[in-house]
Amino acid sequence: MQTASRRKFIETGLSALAGLSLVTHPGFGTTAKPADKIRLGIIGTGSRGAGLASLVKNIPALSLIACCDTIPANLKNGMAHAEKGAKAYTDYRQLLDDKNIDAVIIATPLYLHYPMAIAALQAGKHIYLEKSMTYDIPQAIDLVKQVHKSGLIFQVGYQYRYYSLYHRVKEIMKENWLGKITHFECQYNRNSNWRFPVSDPKLERAVNWRMYRAYCGGPLSELCAHEIDVVNFMLDSHPLKVVGLGGINYWKDGRDTYDNIRTVYDYPNGVKASVTSVLSNAYNGYSIRILGDKATAEILRDKAFIYPENINNAKGTVDGVTGATLALTTQGQGVELKFGKPGEAVPEPTITALQDFAHCIQTKKQPISNVETGRDGSIAIHMGNAAADTESVQLWKPAYSV
Amino acid sequence: MIFNGIFCCTCFGGQKENLNKKLIVIAVSVMTFLLCAFSDGAKDSEIQAFHIAGTTQGTTYAVTYYSEKELIKKTAIDSIFSRIDQSLSIYKPESVISQFNASDFGIETDVHFDKVIRKSMEVYKDTDGAFDITVLPLVQAWGFGTEKVGVLPDSSRIKSILPCVGSDKIRLRNNRLEKLVSCTQIDVNGIAQGYSVDVVADFLERNHIQNYLVEVGGEIRVKGKKYPGNKPMRIGIETPSKNEFEKTGIQKVIQLDQGAVTTSGNYRRFRQSGSQKISHIIDPKTGYSAQTSLISVTVIADDAITADGYDNALLLMGLNKSLRFLEAHKNLQAYFIFQKPDGSVSDTATAGFYPYVR
Repeated sequence: MQTASRRKFIETGLSALAGLSLVTHPGFGTTAKPADKIRLGIIGTGSRGAGLASLVKNIPALSLIACCDTIPANLKNGMAHAEKGAKAYTDYRQLLDDKNIDAVIIATPLYLHYPMAIAALQAGKHIYLEKSMTYDIPQAIDLVKQVHKSGLIFQVGYQYRYYSLYHRVKEIMKENWLGKITHFECQYNRNSNWRFPVSDPKLERAVNWRMYRAYCGGPLSELCAHEIDVVNFMLDSHPLKVVGLGGINYWKDGRDTYDNIRTVYDYPNGVKASVTSVLSNAYNGYSIRILGDKATAEILRDKAFIYPENINNAKGTVDGVTGATLALTTQGQGVELKFGKPGEAVPEPTITALQDFAHCIQTKKQPISNVETGRDGSIAIHMGNAAADTESVQLWKPAYSV
Repeated sequence: MIFNGIFCCTCFGGQKENLNKKLIVIAVSVMTFLLCAFSDGAKDSEIQAFHIAGTTQGTTYAVTYYSEKELIKKTAIDSIFSRIDQSLSIYKPESVISQFNASDFGIETDVHFDKVIRKSMEVYKDTDGAFDITVLPLVQAWGFGTEKVGVLPDSSRIKSILPCVGSDKIRLRNNRLEKLVSCTQIDVNGIAQGYSVDVVADFLERNHIQNYLVEVGGEIRVKGKKYPGNKPMRIGIETPSKNEFEKTGIQKVIQLDQGAVTTSGNYRRFRQSGSQKISHIIDPKTGYSAQTSLISVTVIADDAITADGYDNALLLMGLNKSLRFLEAHKNLQAYFIFQKPDGSVSDTATAGFYPYVR
């Protein structure tokens, strides 16, 4: 029952995305009248929230009329992208009380996602909630219920679900270009302490919340979340169990979130996904390799390559093979995967995600990145951290999917 | 033989009564060796395979020849390809073909260029223009040429190119290839691989090699048998792939004592535009990519330039027209892999093709 409804959500979301590829879609005409615009407030205008604010300008259907942040410098950054006459708040509850606001983007530290999302639902606002969805598993399960009850549009900020690169990879997987897929190898590495400068020592925990488990799940919830969601998306599934190891072995600077974590997720049919984050090496920083028995797909930030396997094509039994010319450029090296339409620039995936958020509100459809896919991602993240914390296998419990 | 004899010696060594046997074996071995050395043809077991492989014309080549000793080295083969490139490569700005394309009125030809142009004109006339080397401006516009093209051409762009296209706008006179329209440009990629195969095969024959297989980018010429064993060589026809890089299996195996076999396929070089596949085979008359149910055409002919010249034309003609055409061209045999209206893949061939199939 539940699976069926999730599939329905995914399908409706996908058809909405298909509509997006039409430039002339009525929902996104540049002539949208102010009254037709969705009036938006952003809660949390730190680096990510202010970045989102700057993108909203590109989306005619959205109008940014309020920002909220407890740190004055952040609030100023957000307001710089807002409409004339927009309101600045330091208390998100006051922003939610603003009856002029139709929808909110929540881009706050992870531990605030659930209480703010619940409050926004109660205030009748549509929600674009940054990833990952919730701080723990019970919150994820409860948020699904609350969103269903509300009838409001709820999107989670996994923008790669809106990136044609990933849709093309999923398509070639379906067309069996890669053969039987057995493994995913995901890494989100960087060679930095992952800290933001702090103007006032009192703000250390507010600015560098990623360093503390009280506020988030560390690299797994803040970096690898995307890749876990991508594997779920590619397999239309969620992991069944996970093992993992983590540690603070390099950046011994008072943080209590891992500076390295390596997990292995087990999916249906024995498909395994290793998910790694190392903060002391940046080689191929972000990458997802999909291993099939015919080829490997390597997804990087904005491109993907296919590496065919050298399969014995029965050449041993013949002395020569005649066929369409095999270009030299496709032999022994990666072939870049083409995606999108020839000659058309592929927009920044976050813009596509925000456009679809507006479109879903206008058409009352749930997004591709919805509360259920968000729940599956969050539960997987917490299972991975729990596996590393306890050095024991974590199982997906039947109660998680109810 | 010699090694065989020595091996036998060590087997029998050690016992005095075997010494005589040992000497006999050695004597026989030496005699056999001398016999072989002075006889005209080498014994089967002394002929070995020599393999040369490398890259040329943006793809790979492979030469296998059978001989009692090494007669040809890779450097010789590579220098042949390099000389052909100097004449026929549109990727080399200084090549004869590039100079022709850049010229307003034409240019003086060289041997390779002259031969390929003559054959191209012959196939052009014979196929009623289905094979046409003046298709280059269209090929470039569709992004299958030397440069990457982002945007697909629209109908007005194609219309503006068509006046440059048509082999009736070029003329071979004395040692010159002349242009009647300065915007005409040519691309012999549809026939150059086959021609190169012939040039290498002829080179092998001039070096007294009678048993060989030459392959450039899937175009093949073969002669004789393989050794040891004196067996016919087997040639696989590739199963069409789903994309540009997939290595597939063998659809059919054929055997030729002497001749050429080439394949033209829609399946490896194409551009995807949404759900539409745009083939690299461009119809010189319409300016658009070939609309055909054919996935690949394999042609058997006496030489590779002929087989290669006709395979593209047949692909463009489509199955029914091709079969009618081949009725009147008994020097060509062909095998077709095509998509049926229901989407399933099927194959068929001319009657004369089947005897080659194993």
